[in-house]
Amino acid sequence: MKIRDYVIGANASMYYRLNFKKIKGVYYPKSEQELIDIVKIAREKGYGVTPKGGGSGLSGACTGGDRERIMVSSLRMNRVLTISKDQKYVDVQPGATPDEINAMLEPMGMKFWVAPSSRDIATVGGILSTDGGGNDTWRNGTMRDNTLRVRMVLYDGSILTVDWSGVKCENKKIEKALNSKGMTVHDVAGSHGTLGFITEIRVRINPIPKHTLSGGVAHYDDLNELGDVLAKMINEKCSIWYGEAIAEAHPDVRGDMKPPLLILEVPEENTCDLKGITGYKPISKEKLQQYKDTRIKLPKRNPNEGMQVALFEGYGFHGTSLRKMQDCVNEINDLLRSHDLEPFAKYGHGPSKWYLGDNSPAYGIVLHSREIRPPEKSGPEVFEAVKDIVALCKKLGVTPKPEHKWPFSDEVKNARLSEIRQALGEGFNEFLLDSKCYDVLASMV
Amino acid sequence: MSYDRCVRCGSCLKICPIFDAMGEEQYSPRGKTYLLQIMDQIEQDPEAAKEFRRLLFMCTMCGRCKETCSSDVDLLAIWHEQRGKSIREHPDEFAYLKPLQEALENVQNIYGLDPEDRAMFWLDELEDEIPGLADKVYEPGKKAEVMVFIGCLMSFRSSQLDVLRALLTTLWKSGTDYLVMGAEEFCCGHPLYLIGNDEGAIELRKHNKAVIEDAGAKKVITCCPGCLIQLKQYHDLGDIEALHHTQFFDMMYDELPTYKAEKPFAYHDPCELHRILEIKKEPRSLMDKMHVDYRDIEPTCCGGGGLLRITDPNLSDIIIQMRAASQHLKDTTVLTCCPSCREQLLSNELKTRDIIELVSEIIEEVGE
Ligand SMILES: Cc1cc2nc3c(=O)[nH]c(=O)nc-3n(C[C@H](O)[C@H](O)[C@H](O)COP(=O)(O)OP(=O)(O)OC[C@H]3O[C@@H](n4cnc5c(N)ncnc54)[C@H](O)[C@@H]3O)c2cc1C
Repeated sequence: MKIRDYVIGANASMYYRLNFKKIKGVYYPKSEQELIDIVKIAREKGYGVTPKGGGSGLSGACTGGDRERIMVSSLRMNRVLTISKDQKYVDVQPGATPDEINAMLEPMGMKFWVAPSSRDIATVGGILSTDGGGNDTWRNGTMRDNTLRVRMVLYDGSILTVDWSGVKCENKKIEKALNSKGMTVHDVAGSHGTLGFITEIRVRINPIPKHTLSGGVAHYDDLNELGDVLAKMINEKCSIWYGEAIAEAHPDVRGDMKPPLLILEVPEENTCDLKGITGYKPISKEKLQQYKDTRIKLPKRNPNEGMQVALFEGYGFHGTSLRKMQDCVNEINDLLRSHDLEPFAKYGHGPSKWYLGDNSPAYGIVLHSREIRPPEKSGPEVFEAVKDIVALCKKLGVTPKPEHKWPFSDEVKNARLSEIRQALGEGFNEFLLDSKCYDVLASMV
Repeated sequence: MSYDRCVRCGSCLKICPIFDAMGEEQYSPRGKTYLLQIMDQIEQDPEAAKEFRRLLFMCTMCGRCKETCSSDVDLLAIWHEQRGKSIREHPDEFAYLKPLQEALENVQNIYGLDPEDRAMFWLDELEDEIPGLADKVYEPGKKAEVMVFIGCLMSFRSSQLDVLRALLTTLWKSGTDYLVMGAEEFCCGHPLYLIGNDEGAIELRKHNKAVIEDAGAKKVITCCPGCLIQLKQYHDLGDIEALHHTQFFDMMYDELPTYKAEKPFAYHDPCELHRILEIKKEPRSLMDKMHVDYRDIEPTCCGGGGLLRITDPNLSDIIIQMRAASQHLKDTTVLTCCPSCREQLLSNELKTRDIIELVSEIIEEVGE
C-alpha cells in the first residue's frame, strides 16, 4: 500500500485506527469531471465512496468505517468560483474553508457568516454535511441557513442540484423520485457524505456591518444559572454577535478564567438590554481577545499530564435540559468518571441554534466537551462510555452532538437519509447507516 | 512521545508550504504525526514505512506548524528526532546525504572544498576595496571585540559576494574592531542538525568555540540564521553574545539616512530568523531607520530551508515559484537577511537584496 492510503485516515475524531486494507484507492480530484471518473471506477469495482474534507469532524464519519471503499478528498477542490456582491452569494468548490472564502471577500466588505472554531481547516462541503455552525450561529444560522444551492455527483455518476425548492438531476428518474420525496437542502445538511459528493455550493454572503461591538463577560454560580440566562436571551431574541460559554475547564488550560462564564460581544446600542439579562460586565478589547483566544484553543489543548480526547464532542442543551444544565452536566460527568474519563473542559456556543433530525430548529447551547483519556483503557472500552452517553442524552432531553455530528443515533434523520438513498443510490458512506456501525466505530478508537 | 499529543485538528495543513505545493495529506504536518501515531500499523508494511521516511525529508523545517499548534506539540523537535532515527536505522536509503556528511567530517564545509579557500575566495575580490581586510583574518594570537562568523554559503558562493562586501564595508566604515575566522571557521553544524545528526556536530562546534574564545571576542555576528541558531543554542558560548547582523547594526545605529528607492520593496522574513529565533523586530527597525518603503509578505517559507534544496530540489523550486506568484514578487525586489533565502530567490530569477546592502550603500553615499 502507498502511504497516501494510510494517511487519509487522519482525522480529528478518536476514530482513527482504521483497517487500511479496506481502502481501495485515495483520490484528490481538482474538478467535477475528475470526480465523475473516480466515482465510475468505484462503481465498476463495486466499492463504496467516502468523501473527506478537512478531516476535522469529530464523529469519525469521514473515515468510511470498514467498507471496501475509495476515499475522495476535496482538499484540491478549494476554489472560489464566482462572487456576486450584488446578489449576495458566492459559488465555491467543496474544499474551500470559511477562512479561504473570507480572505477573498473581506477586501470587498463582504463575509460568509459561518464560523466554526475549525474554520481554518473545515471545508464548506464538510460543514454542510455536518450542518456545522459557530459562535455566531445564533445570529447567522447554521450552514444550511447559509446554503442556497448544492451540486453533487451521485453514485451513478449523474449530477444533482439541490436547492430549497427541490432538485434537478441529469437522471430524470432520480429527479422525479427525489422531488416526489420533497428533497431540499435540509436533506443534504447533516447527511455526512451518505448521498453523494458535493462538488459546488452556493453560499450566502452579507456585508460586514460598520457598527461598533462591545465585549463583556458574565460570571455565574453554576450552570443552572447560566442556562436560565441563556433561556432568557433566547426568549428575548437578544442581539449577540459572539456568544461563548466556558462551563468548566481544567486549571492547566483555563488561565485566569473563572468558569462558569459567558463571553459576549454585542453591538454597542444593545449593551443596556443585555446587561439586565446577563449581568455582563464590559471588558477591554485586549481582554476580550485574550478570552476569545483561550476559548478557540480549548479544543486543542492538552493537560500538563496525560492526553485529552474528544470522547463525545458535544451536547445540545435546550428547553428543560437548558434550565437544568448543571444537573445534567453532573450526571454526564458522573458517567464519564464511572468510565475512568476525567472531565477536562466544557465550553461552547451559546445562545445557539441547531436542527433536530426532523429539521425543526432547537435553541440553546452547544456545549463541547473534552476528557482526559485513561491510558490503560482499550479503544472498545472507551467506546462503551460513548454508548452510555448517547443513552443518557436521550434520557436527559439533550441532543447528542447537536451540530449533527453524531449521526449514528438520529433515527429520524437516518430514516430520511435511507429513504433518499433508495432513490439516488447507496454507494456513498454506507457504514454510517449500518446497524453494526457502533462495532465499527469501537474498533477504530 | 509528544506526537501523541497531536489531536489531529488539522490547523497545520493549510499553512504548510509542502502541503500547499503538493496538496495531499501525507505532505502535511498532521499527516506525518498521524502516521507516527499509527506507526505500529505502518511498520508492518515495509514499503510504506520507507515512503514515510522519505517524506520526513520533504519538509523545510520552517516551524510554521509548531507555531500554529495549539496542542503544544513540538513538531520541529519531532521532525529532527525522526530524521535522525531514519538515517541511523536505514543509512542505505539516505546515501545521497553521505557526501554532505563526509565533507563536513573531512573539510568542515558543506561544499567539500579546501578549508583554506574559505577566506581566499572573497578576500581576493574584496581586498582592494576594503583597506586592511587581509589583517582581519583570524590567526592565533589576534584579538578583536567582534568575531564575524561568515558561514559556508557566504564563504564559498559567488552569489553571496555582494552581501559580504556590504557587511565588511559597513564593519570597516563603522570602525568595528572585528575579525573573520577564515580557514579556522568550521561549519556551524546546522546541516547535520537538520538531518538529526547531533553527534556529528559536536566536534565542529567545539572548534568554533575555541577559536571565538581565543580571539577574546565579546560578540559573534553572522548573517546566516541557521548558523545563528547553532551559535546561540548549541555552541555553549557563555557570555559571548551571538547576534544576527541586523541585530548588531540595529544596536549600532540610532538613526540612518533615508534610503531612496524607485519602487517599494517586499520584505521576506527568513523562517529560522523570525519564527525559530524570534528575531522580527530588528530587521524592521533597521529598515524603518532608513525609511525604507517595504511591504510585509505572508511569513511562509521560501522553500530553501530544512535542506530541501538537497533532499528535493524540484519541490523547493515549486515552493518559491508558488510564493512568487501568490505574493506578487516578480516585479519587486525582495529584501531579506538570510543567505539561504537569497540563494533560493536568486535561483528562481527573483531580485533580492540583503538589508545590509542598503545600509552599506547609504553609508557610502553619505561618506562620499
Ligand atoms: C478544533 C475543532 C473545533 C471545532 N469547532 C467546531 C465548531 O465550532 N462548530 C462546528 O460545527 N464544528 C466544529 N468542529 C467539528 C468540525 O470542524 C465540523 O464537523 C466540520 O464541519 C467538518 O468539516 P470537514 O471539512 O473537516 O469535514 P470532514 O471531517 O472531512 O467530514 C465530515 C463529514 O462530511 C462529509 N463530507 C466532507 N466533504 C464532503 C463532500 N464534498 N461531499 C459530501 N460529503 C462530504 C464526510 O464524509 C463526513 O461524513 C470542530 C472540530 C475541531 C477539530
